[in-house]
Amino acid sequence: MTHGPIDSELFDAHVPKGRQWLLWVLYKLMWRTFFGVIIGLRYHWSKTPHPLGPVIYVANHNSHLDGMSLMTIVPSHRIHLTHSVAAQDFFGNSGFRRWSMKNLVNAVLISRSKREADVDPVQLLDAMIRQGHSLILFPEGTRGVPGVMADFKRGVGHLASRHPDVPVIPVYLDGLYRNLPKGRSIIVPLGGTLVMGDPVYFPEGTSVDDITEQTQAAIHNMAEELRQQNQVPDHGR
Amino acid sequence: MNKLIDLWDIAAELQWVIFIILCILVASSVAWNLWNFLKPGKLVQELLVRTRSWWIMCACFIVTTLAHPIVTHVGLAFLSFALCREMYPLLKLDVRERNVVLVCYGVIPIQYTLAYLGMTTLFLAFIPVLMFVFIPFLLVVKGETQGIVRSISLMPYSLVAWVYGMSHLALLFQLPDIPGFTAGPQGLLLYLIFLVGINDVLQFAWGKTLGRRAVLPKVSPNKTWEGLVGGVLSVSLIAVGLRFLTPLEPWQAALTGFCVAVMGFMGDAIASGIKRDLGIKNSGNAIPGHGGYLDRLDGFSAAAAPFFHLVYFFSVTSAA
Repeated sequence: MTHGPIDSELFDAHVPKGRQWLLWVLYKLMWRTFFGVIIGLRYHWSKTPHPLGPVIYVANHNSHLDGMSLMTIVPSHRIHLTHSVAAQDFFGNSGFRRWSMKNLVNAVLISRSKREADVDPVQLLDAMIRQGHSLILFPEGTRGVPGVMADFKRGVGHLASRHPDVPVIPVYLDGLYRNLPKGRSIIVPLGGTLVMGDPVYFPEGTSVDDITEQTQAAIHNMAEELRQQNQVPDHGR
Repeated sequence: MNKLIDLWDIAAELQWVIFIILCILVASSVAWNLWNFLKPGKLVQELLVRTRSWWIMCACFIVTTLAHPIVTHVGLAFLSFALCREMYPLLKLDVRERNVVLVCYGVIPIQYTLAYLGMTTLFLAFIPVLMFVFIPFLLVVKGETQGIVRSISLMPYSLVAWVYGMSHLALLFQLPDIPGFTAGPQGLLLYLIFLVGINDVLQFAWGKTLGRRAVLPKVSPNKTWEGLVGGVLSVSLIAVGLRFLTPLEPWQAALTGFCVAVMGFMGDAIASGIKRDLGIKNSGNAIPGHGGYLDRLDGFSAAAAPFFHLVYFFSVTSAA
């Protein structure tokens, strides 16, 4: 491995005091109530207890609400250490957006283009995990077509293969795109489901492609399972 | 009627009905747990889950009913909202009709405010007359006429079925003073909740024990003639027994109970038909063991308006 910049230069792990309280009030209290009561989002919790240390949450992406809903399932004691990974070119293009993404969403912005001048996103995220932070990834890379899951990019694979001790939690989000579709700005409550999968540990030496593929397959299975749960059995109600 | 707890400043009738509800819940919880302990099985597991949900539902209903009328109105409005929100995505009214869906949600607080302010005439006309024209017009204004007949029929239907019907419960607060009647609108509300709830339970119970012939074999094989008749008769009797919550005479209470049970069954059957067409088993899973909001409230929203009008006719119109 080449000697790149050290972790603390890439990412300042210090979280200001008060950020945890702000995020807790915002997500565990306000957004959680909003999702539960107004939007009608149903949570299907995982049966296994949530891991204590850093985690990589991976979810499908169709709406701006996705990141918010993911933050509400993070345990309270780690909420200030959990960062959604968002696109620099979209969320970093105005001062207000940059400020709110940093302070209200606790997001980290990465560049989607592959220019020389940019910091390598994988290196940055790797440094964050090594300093004990959790990540929320949307490996489809964009919100895409409503209700359709695009192929995953390999970022998850790169990160998980470097950290066999950090579990990946696949999350399937169904129907949030109806509440706030791409290109709209008003939220119309129309329900949805959040299925939280069991944490997956990938043993050392699993290839990047395998991890990416398996994560995508896990989310696909969760989608299929949810679809079948709601269907009428052949004989009567 | 004497108060159960003297220091608690709610009407004696309400204290008694809450006491009865608690007795039924405790008795069924004890019975199912005992049954589960002696002979565990699938049916008793389902009964346990359902009873646990009934505990929570009863607690929510009782607390919102006894609280300030504004809280009761907000609670009822939330039920209407939850029904619409649950059904719109299933009816595929989402991205294209977004703005009109938002208008439909906006109708809910207006309708309940009209009820709260006692503007009865406008309340009665607002949805079936005004919104019946306004909402289809909004859909037409968008300029896309493909499939518009579907949304024109569904959206006013949803408002009438889940908002207009349900909001008649808020109108119970506007009944004029009836001499000798002390339980108040809260009493009438708990009376209806009790009847519709016990109607579902009894039709389920009679159907499970004696049920042979299905009423609507193609729609819902679980609804049997035995369950329907047994349920309707027992609910009529219970309605007479609980009539201390109402200003009704015994025969009037029996007729009200009969109508509530039959309307509850009809609402249930309509909801089953809708769900069958949509290819779903339950409208959601908000209430463990019961399904979604619609699965539990279908009978309730169908019985609400007839109940209001029966009470109004018997105790106001014909008494005058």
